[in-house]
Amino acid sequence: MRQAGTYSGILSGGISGKTGPHLLPLARIKKIMKRSGEDVKMISGESPIVFSKACELFIKELTQRSWMVTMQGKRRTLNKEDVASAVMATDLFDFLVNLVSESGNSGEAPPPLELDTFTSS
Amino acid sequence: MEDEIKHGNVTHVPNKGSPESPHVTCCDSNNSNNNNNQNNNNKEQDRFLPIANVSRILKKVIPSNGKISKDAKETIQECVSEFISFVTGEASDKCQREKRKTINGDDIIWAITTLGFEEYVGPLKLYLSKYREMEGEKLIFPKQQRSDQRRQHSEYEQNIVFNNNNNININTNSNNNVNSSINVYPSFVPSDQPFSLPFSSNSFQKQLQ
Repeated sequence: MRQAGTYSGILSGGISGKTGPHLLPLARIKKIMKRSGEDVKMISGESPIVFSKACELFIKELTQRSWMVTMQGKRRTLNKEDVASAVMATDLFDFLVNLVSESGNSGEAPPPLELDTFTSS
Repeated sequence: MEDEIKHGNVTHVPNKGSPESPHVTCCDSNNSNNNNNQNNNNKEQDRFLPIANVSRILKKVIPSNGKISKDAKETIQECVSEFISFVTGEASDKCQREKRKTINGDDIIWAITTLGFEEYVGPLKLYLSKYREMEGEKLIFPKQQRSDQRRQHSEYEQNIVFNNNNNININTNSNNNVNSSINVYPSFVPSDQPFSLPFSSNSFQKQLQ
């Protein structure tokens, strides 16, 4: 799933002279990391940097999979249920199942669609 | 801005694992709620990455004529925070097992691999190595050093110009004295003399001989 865009932040000066600009705020990432557990005490300077890239990749993957659901429904607006469907259909996103099923879906989750063969170039 | 405030209406959820408490659906909440909750929302906003940043990223992967609903953006926003917590928890456990106090970039990458996101590892390692390289360069070439070198060079140029106007001095002096005279005789320099070299340094050498 290696796209040219994945690297462009580096080649075109994503890390330009200083350690920025990054797409996501490092201080906020650090705060979220610290909230994840009592035993998270010390975080190296490069951890938020790695996360800013990892989150970017994660957002892109989640959005792409959700958009597939949108297109299958012949719509042009990606809505919350599409995100939920993408999460249900992807084993990798199992840790998000509770999160999306509590987001206002009444009753059962929608039937999972077969997206495991999804590959993006 | 409005999105972040609306998101602040969510009740506090436990840190570990997925949130247990019900999520308040903000889809049909009015603006009137925002003013009441605005002061309480600052802490809640810290739980998520800014929605503007998230929006910018996800717009890159959908066609330009595609649209994303606000609640979809918020859901993705929450998913990212969950992802961070999930990976951090795993990395933190590893550090505890190995009796280390600080989570570093390699721990994050290890946790991401362990949790199944192996595809991310290649770009992440490249990104991290570039970052480390940039950090190393900053240590070798501090900005102060470069600006000092520029200042010294311009002083040298000024001294050469002074001597060009004093041909008598140059011709009668021996070679040894020429070098010392470069720094002397500031009174002979006309005040309107431009600092730039009116001749090449090669021609100056010929005059000395």
